[in-house]
Amino acid sequence: MIQPSRDSGAAAAAISRSPRSAILRVSASLGGLALVLIAAAIFTPLFYSYANLVLVAQSVGVIGIVTIGQTFPLLVGGIDLSVGAVSGLTMVVIAVVSGGSNDHLLVAILIALALGIGVGLANAVLVTRRNTPPFVATFATFILVEGALLAWTQGTPSGEIPGALSPWGAGTLVGIPVPLFVFLALLAVCAVGLGRTTYGRRVYATGSNPIAARMTGIPVRVVITSTYVICAMCAVIVGILNSGYIGYVDNQLVNTINLNCIAAALIGGTTFIGGEGGVVQSALGVLVLAALLSFMLLLNTGIAGQLILEGGIILAAVWLQSSRQLGFDSLRRMRQCLVSARRPLSGGTPRP
Amino acid sequence: MVRSRIPRVRHMRALRASVLMGALVSVALLGSGWSSAPSTRTASPSDVVSKIAPASAPCSNASKGAGQVAALWKRDEQALGVPVLKPPASSVCYVDTSSYKKRGPYTIAFASQGPTNAWASESDAYVRYVAKQNHVKLLYASANGSGATQVGEIPSLLAQNPQLLMVQPLSSGVEPGLHRAALRHIPVVVCTGLLTDTNDITATVNRSYALDGTIMAQWVAKKIGGKGQVAMLSGIAGVPTAEYTYQAGLAVFKHFPGIKIVTHQYTNWSPSQAKTVAASMLVEYPNIKAIWSDSASNDEGVIAAYTAAHKAIPPLTGDSPNLLLKLAKQYHVQFAVSAYPPEQCGEALAVAVKILEGKSVPNQIPVNSAVYTNKQLAKYYRPSCSVNLYVPSLLPLSILRQLKLCP
Repeated sequence: MIQPSRDSGAAAAAISRSPRSAILRVSASLGGLALVLIAAAIFTPLFYSYANLVLVAQSVGVIGIVTIGQTFPLLVGGIDLSVGAVSGLTMVVIAVVSGGSNDHLLVAILIALALGIGVGLANAVLVTRRNTPPFVATFATFILVEGALLAWTQGTPSGEIPGALSPWGAGTLVGIPVPLFVFLALLAVCAVGLGRTTYGRRVYATGSNPIAARMTGIPVRVVITSTYVICAMCAVIVGILNSGYIGYVDNQLVNTINLNCIAAALIGGTTFIGGEGGVVQSALGVLVLAALLSFMLLLNTGIAGQLILEGGIILAAVWLQSSRQLGFDSLRRMRQCLVSARRPLSGGTPRP
Repeated sequence: MVRSRIPRVRHMRALRASVLMGALVSVALLGSGWSSAPSTRTASPSDVVSKIAPASAPCSNASKGAGQVAALWKRDEQALGVPVLKPPASSVCYVDTSSYKKRGPYTIAFASQGPTNAWASESDAYVRYVAKQNHVKLLYASANGSGATQVGEIPSLLAQNPQLLMVQPLSSGVEPGLHRAALRHIPVVVCTGLLTDTNDITATVNRSYALDGTIMAQWVAKKIGGKGQVAMLSGIAGVPTAEYTYQAGLAVFKHFPGIKIVTHQYTNWSPSQAKTVAASMLVEYPNIKAIWSDSASNDEGVIAAYTAAHKAIPPLTGDSPNLLLKLAKQYHVQFAVSAYPPEQCGEALAVAVKILEGKSVPNQIPVNSAVYTNKQLAKYYRPSCSVNLYVPSLLPLSILRQLKLCP
């Protein structure tokens, strides 16, 4: 079998990091965002009012944080369905442990973080040690956490959310919602971490081919574990911010968090196969989803119209991403063939 | 050059996987509007109240039943100071339960929706309390908010040979199970829900959705003088508790040409979602004069949105948890509430005991609940108790303490 030369491999690597490939990677979500913005300008001009943009920014912040967290397991070929439960657990812990008092807030947050990390570790153990499919493992954890919450609170979580959280969840800084700042800070840290560090390369390598990654000495289990822990910590942050947003424990929020973060990541181009996508792409997906949700509210189409349009746009985004991926890979293979054909063989098996 | 098919196969699989997962997420999003998700109220798809068929057991004295329904409507409308309307036609009659008569103590099976929130926990606690008062052996099964789970639990309950089956339905999927109970001559009582096929049901105990929706809309219309913009907020799309209440309210507003319903939104009974929806409403409709809401969960979000925007809170409607009263007192909110009491299934258990004693009971028992406005806030608000407590509560203080709802 003919081995590709190093030069063709370098050429392939150069192709994947070129500005053109970067544009291709984000084209679908940018196109979707442009579509929503144009439609909003035509049908709901109030979308661009300051008050509404603040609402969109709030949604971007909250959905964005949990989507960044969800991106990490997706990059290693997994998924985390327990994020909603961890957020709900955080809200309950804060309400019950603090009892509505700012004095005990720090303790409550630390306990919530510890429990969240525990859930992340539990997911990781199931996935890495027991080889449980991530969908099954994290769904089981979701049910377990929900059950534990019910047993603890009997459906009636006592206590209120301390007032000190309100500026974080519902406050603004220079007119911009605080959750957006938290999201941007997290995005910057994670983008640098995934794009410019050894850890980031290990995450992508693990997601692309875990067997090959293990053979090159990458501690695959550690890398996968870290992704689930990061995801759980992001869910805890969202729980803290949501607590401050409404001021009370909101049981119903659990259901929407899971779906929103997966949808946003998919729209942005972070796929389920692992090794593809990233936090920046997911962030674009968050922008599209948040803009879409706001647009649908203002459009007043009714619930049926809202759901059909949201589902349709997700399907379209996934289809576009996959088409783009196929087209990009075809292009890459063509370039590899051309480069290989121009250079003489260096070693390897002689032609028969 | 040898061409490898592996990358192509891998990417075709990736394409299929991506499309499949995208489809699953989309279906989940689409399905979320029709799911029987747990809430403060059960999800029971059914026909409108006035079209429920009477039970197949001998049923008589319809005029007495209709009179009781009319009296309830009149009482509640007068409580809010709104015009008394003729209630929709109903088929209430008195069921002859002599064939079910047994000697006590009784064994009653209860398929509960499960203690998934404060309302449901109070509901279960009151059922247990009434069971203890009446020396009833309770065979309990919790569906944890899942309609599918509940469907599977009913045969298990029937296998334990109860003398009566009581169901807090989450979906019409329970109807085959009720039919099996009827075939075994086990009487069935339904609470906090409505089912389409009532032939196997001896009695239904439920607060009337039509009554709630109607009187709240009448109060809103009166409050704004029959003119102005009104927003309507409902819980979960497709859930009968939300839909029938909404339809009843809408039917009232149609009689007021000066009232414009500018928007109707669903909030999943989530205060956070309601806050976002209300904030969006403020952008598009800054002149809303009142908000018709089917639940206090919506009202909590509305109050948070309006206070954050430093706008005057419009008159609201909803049900009756302590939290709404606390917020209404703090922010001087005008409201009208029609309580959807968690004690309904406990009342249904008392009806179940009467059935087993052979006493005649109405086939539909519209629940009498507290209906009041902000003027009676002090009478119902319990400042020392949890914001999650639904008031007024019939639970003794000892049980409220066990549930950590009161100190």
